[in-house]
Amino acid sequence: MVSKTEETQLNRLENQVDNGGGGAWEYLCLARKLKVRRPENVLKYGLSILNDSKKRSALGPEEWTLYEQVAIAAMDCQCLDVAKDCIKVLRKKFPESKRVGRLEGMLLEAKGLWGEAEKAYSSLLEDNALDQVIHKRRVAMAKAQGNISAAIEWLNKYLEIFMADHDAWRELAEIYVSLQMYKQAAFCYEELILSQPTVPLYHLAYADVLYTLGGLENLQTAKKYYASTIDLTGGKNTRALLGICLCTSAIGQVSKGRNKEDKESPELQSLAAKALEKDYKQRADDKLGLLTSVLTSLKI
Amino acid sequence: MAEDLVLDTAIRDWVLIPLSVVMVLIGVLRYFVSKLMRSFQVPDPKIVKEGQVIVRARNLRAAANFIPPKSFRSRRVYFSNEENGLLFVPKGQAQNAQAQMFSDPNMAMDMMKKNLSMIIPQTLTFAWVNFFFSGFVAAKIPFPLTQRFRSMLQNGIDLSTVDVSYVSSRSWYFLNLFGLRGLFSLILGEENATDDTQRMMQMSGFGFDPSKSLSAEKDGLDIVQHEWALHNSQLCFSRADVGFHKQGKEASLAPSNVPQQVQASGLDSIGPRNETSFANTYAYAMLI
Repeated sequence: MVSKTEETQLNRLENQVDNGGGGAWEYLCLARKLKVRRPENVLKYGLSILNDSKKRSALGPEEWTLYEQVAIAAMDCQCLDVAKDCIKVLRKKFPESKRVGRLEGMLLEAKGLWGEAEKAYSSLLEDNALDQVIHKRRVAMAKAQGNISAAIEWLNKYLEIFMADHDAWRELAEIYVSLQMYKQAAFCYEELILSQPTVPLYHLAYADVLYTLGGLENLQTAKKYYASTIDLTGGKNTRALLGICLCTSAIGQVSKGRNKEDKESPELQSLAAKALEKDYKQRADDKLGLLTSVLTSLKI
Repeated sequence: MAEDLVLDTAIRDWVLIPLSVVMVLIGVLRYFVSKLMRSFQVPDPKIVKEGQVIVRARNLRAAANFIPPKSFRSRRVYFSNEENGLLFVPKGQAQNAQAQMFSDPNMAMDMMKKNLSMIIPQTLTFAWVNFFFSGFVAAKIPFPLTQRFRSMLQNGIDLSTVDVSYVSSRSWYFLNLFGLRGLFSLILGEENATDDTQRMMQMSGFGFDPSKSLSAEKDGLDIVQHEWALHNSQLCFSRADVGFHKQGKEASLAPSNVPQQVQASGLDSIGPRNETSFANTYAYAMLI
C-alpha cells in the first residue's frame, strides 16, 4: 500500500515531467517500486525515453526493465502494437526467458484470446509449478472473463500453497464481498488483520462485513473494530465514526426486548456523534444539516 | 627475553600487504565463480508450502489478540489438529528429513559444490603462505600472550626464546581469513559466497529440518493465551477521541488483563465438537 508521502512525491514528479522539467526516469522507477497503476503516464514517459536512442543507451541494463514496464502499460491502455514491439525486442534479447513468456501470455490475454493465454500459462507452469505471478495471472484471467467462481477456485488453490500472501487474501476478500459471501469474506479479513494488525483499513473492512452480517454478537464485535480503527487512525476516520453510531442503534434495535446492560454505549455514541459534527463543520459545512438529521434518526 | 625486536619494514611491504591483497582478490574471484556456477534450484512445493505455513502460524501467534476469540480458536484447531492439522507431523516422518537430504542427489551435489568452492582456495592459499612466507617473524601482536599460543602462532620460528607476541605469517593469514568478511560484505554486497565462517557453522549444525520448525510452531501456538485486545477498545476510543486531533496511539491496544473466561461467556456455549465442525466448514472449505 502506498503511503501519503510517496503518493505526493509521485504526483509531484508527474507534474514536473508534464511541464517539461525532466525526471521521467525517476518517475518510472518510483512507479515500479510502488507498483502503482498509472498506465497512460508510464506509457507516455516510457516511450519518450525508448524512442530516443541516446537516452535509451544511457540506461544500460535497466533498458530491459523499462521495456517490460512499457509493455505492461501499453497493454493496460490497449495499445497492443506498442506492446507487441516491446515484447519482440525483449524476446530477441532473452530467448529462453520465462519473464518474457509471461509477457506474451499477458498479450494474448489483452487481445482476448483466453484459450491460448491459458495454454501459454499452463506450459509455463509445467516448467516451474511454483511461479506465483503466473498463478495470479490465471486468477486475473478468470476474473476478467467474468467467471468469478473459477477465479475463486484458482485463488483458493493458490492460497493453499502460498498462504502467507496477503495481497491474495485481500483479493479473495473483495471477491467474496462482491458475491455477498460475507462469512468467507470475514475469514479473509481476519487473515489480513493477523498478518498486518496495524493497518486500519483491514479493521474497517472487517467491521463493515460484520455489521452487514448482522446479529447481536457480530454487531458488538463490529463496534469494537470500528473503535479500534478510530484508535489506529487517531480519530480521523469518518466512516468508522458513522459505523459506531449505526452499530449502536442497530444493537439497540436488536436487543430491544432483552434486558441487556450496555453501559458504555450511550457515551460512545454521543462521543462519536460529537466528533462527526466537529469534523463536518470543519470540512463540509453545507452537509452538516444532513448529518444532524441522520444522527437524530439514529438515536432511537 | 622481553627485548624489543626491530622488524624490517620490508616485511611489511612484501609480506603483510601482499598477503592481504591476494586474499581480497581470491575472495572476489571466488564470488564471481560461485555466481557462475550457481545452478537454478527448482523449489520443492512441499518445502515452499511448509515455509508459508510457518509464516502464517507465526502471524497467528503474533497478532492473536487482534481477532475475536472464536476465530482464533478455530484457527488454532485448524493448525494443530491431530489428524490433519497443518502443523502436525507424524512421528515417523520426522527422522526422514536428514536421510533424505543425503540421498537427494541434487542437494548433495549442490552442497559439495559449495564446500569445494570454499575448501580449495583456502587450502591453496594456506599452502602458498607456508611455502613462501615461513621461517621468519612477520608481525608483532600488540597485546601479550601466554606460552600456550607459541605452537599455534610461531610455527615457522624455531627459537623458543622469542616473545610469543612475535608471530609468523601463518597467523596473519588466519587473521585475514576471519577479518576480511566485513570487507567483503562492503565490496560485494550482502550475499556473497565468501562467508566462510558462517558456512562452517552451518556445516556443523547440519540438517535443516522443516518438521522441527513445524512442531516448534505448533508448540508455540498451543501455548498462546488469547486475550482479546479489542475488549477495551471502546475505552481506548473515548480516550483517543478526547485527543481528537492528536496522532493515534497504538499503545492503547495493548492486551488487557481480561481473563479469557469473562470474554468467552457468550461464546463457550458452543461445545468443542461444534467448534471443530465449525472450524471444518469454515476454515477447511474455503470454497463456494
